[in-house]
Amino acid sequence: MAHLQLQKVGKSYGAVEVIPGIDFEINSGEFLVLVGPSGSGKSTLLKMIAGLEETTSGKIMVDGEDITHLDPSARDLAMVFQSYALYPHMTVRDNMSFALRMRGEDPAEIDRRVKEAVVMLDLGGLENRKPGQLSGGQRQRVAMGRCVVRNPKLFLFDEPLSNLDAKLRAQTRIEIRRLHERLNATSIFVTHDQVEAMTMADRIALLKDGKLQQIGSPQDLYLRPKNTFVATFIGTPEMNLVASQVEMIDGGLWLGGASGISLPVSPERQAKLAGGMASRRQVKVGIRPEHFEIVAAGTEGALEVKVNVTEWLGHEIFIFGQSALGPIGVRLPEGMAAAANDVLNIRPVADRWHVFDIASGDSLLAE
Amino acid sequence: MNAKRSLSGIGGNVMAWGYALIILGPMLWILSNSFKRQIDILMGTTVAPITLVNYQLIINSRQSHFLWNLWNSAVVAVIATLLVLAIATVAAFTVARLQPPRWVTFILLGWALVFHMLPTLTFVGSWYVMFTQVGLHGTYTALILAQVVQGLPMALFLMIGFVMNIPKELVQAARLDGCTYAQVFRHLIFPLSLGGMAAAGALAFISAWSDFAIALNLSNKDTMTAPVAIATFAQEHQILYGQMAASSMLSMIPALAFIMFGQRFVVRGLLAGAVK
Repeated sequence: MAHLQLQKVGKSYGAVEVIPGIDFEINSGEFLVLVGPSGSGKSTLLKMIAGLEETTSGKIMVDGEDITHLDPSARDLAMVFQSYALYPHMTVRDNMSFALRMRGEDPAEIDRRVKEAVVMLDLGGLENRKPGQLSGGQRQRVAMGRCVVRNPKLFLFDEPLSNLDAKLRAQTRIEIRRLHERLNATSIFVTHDQVEAMTMADRIALLKDGKLQQIGSPQDLYLRPKNTFVATFIGTPEMNLVASQVEMIDGGLWLGGASGISLPVSPERQAKLAGGMASRRQVKVGIRPEHFEIVAAGTEGALEVKVNVTEWLGHEIFIFGQSALGPIGVRLPEGMAAAANDVLNIRPVADRWHVFDIASGDSLLAE
Repeated sequence: MNAKRSLSGIGGNVMAWGYALIILGPMLWILSNSFKRQIDILMGTTVAPITLVNYQLIINSRQSHFLWNLWNSAVVAVIATLLVLAIATVAAFTVARLQPPRWVTFILLGWALVFHMLPTLTFVGSWYVMFTQVGLHGTYTALILAQVVQGLPMALFLMIGFVMNIPKELVQAARLDGCTYAQVFRHLIFPLSLGGMAAAGALAFISAWSDFAIALNLSNKDTMTAPVAIATFAQEHQILYGQMAASSMLSMIPALAFIMFGQRFVVRGLLAGAVK
């Protein structure tokens, strides 16, 4: 385990800048998830930390030591690849012991550590098989075992779950997290899947176009998104975004003028907003589908939604429909049902909505 | 529809068998000639009494050194093949995975293409002069070096394709596991390209084994290889058809054995399971 620090780490291919310069720190023992859409530079950043991609500017520090230009073989980092990259001509045992043998460790010690990892990862009985004779899940565990036996400074995961089926993925998520705690390791996990990010991370770093959008706990990103990109990336279905005016009428906030809907608000939040935004200013208001309440028809300040589609997931129901503010998605409370063409009246839950600058997309609620 | 399909099936079969006949016909003719007396061959007799005299002559006769010629062929072809494989595999790894400057790759592949395209005879004259001047004419060294130049381009193209097929992630994983590039080559690229090496090796071996132009010009009496020796059966006053056929049959055996051995290696999917 180690402490990792990125100082203005950047990458460009010739004149094309893919990562303009990223700063963040990962504490010892922390599980950080790098998440972002494809092309956001998350895998590139991971490979730069591993030394497999050249870093063109900035510094990568591990425990205070500058490793920016150190050869990957000397960095003592272990990586689980998306394709697992198991050595096809070696048995499971040889795959796991390879790094230790390269380092010339004592054979008895190698044997002990491999045995330990085999037990830990439930690979007993498969030691003499070759990767071609293993299932996807088993290969994934061998790839983990290859890292575990080394006891490296950092664990790097490059989308290691994307080749597993949904059920196995959920299971492996928990296993990786459990392993992380048991080894007291420092881990960086790259994924494009926000569910993986939310469930596994101590902290999430959300990237877009090589720029860090927000770094923080899953709760931070979900409850206090810094901009519209973070707000819409985290959470399914996506947050509803409405570009409109917010007006103060009779001490309450109204979206879309007097004929619009009310935004229930606490005095603290109202005070905070008053400083940052002038009345009647154009903004984007974001409300997650799960942050609406269904109210009786004719309630003042409610929004009428005509249902187009319902999605029944068992533990929750979503409806998607048309409203005066445009298309909108709403989660229904348990037990409630709706069919196409039904009309529902909804109102945002107090303080569970977000306001963003219409041009920059930055949150107006952030301090 | 069905009639059409069976018709095209017949057409395909006729093509395949016709092609096989073109290849096998002359071989069968040589095979039968090797068991005939000279007089039967000259008379054009199809069914003649079988005799082993041709084989006895080329193996036992004092005038013939055919077994020695075969040995020469083997020495030249085996060593040249090993050299070709060693150079081609290391070069392929360098070009495919080490990202050398572009001009290095360009020159290497350009060189290979030129030497692959131009007929061997274009170079043989200058090689003759060069080797004579440095006193290497008629030595194994001269023959082997020339065969390496001859066989390298094809092997290089094959091995580059093969090494490219070894996933990049394997190299990266090995690098993170603490390997230098030399260790990556030894522990990963070498064992994983054995299949490709068998294929490239079989081709290089056959080209060196059956070469005539180079050996004719660069060998002497002591280092004469089998194809050149076979040609010497066409003498001033007569052509020893029977012995020529018998020696051709003998010289075919190692190449056939090598192809069968190599083919098995190529087919075996060494890479199965490397990546998901």
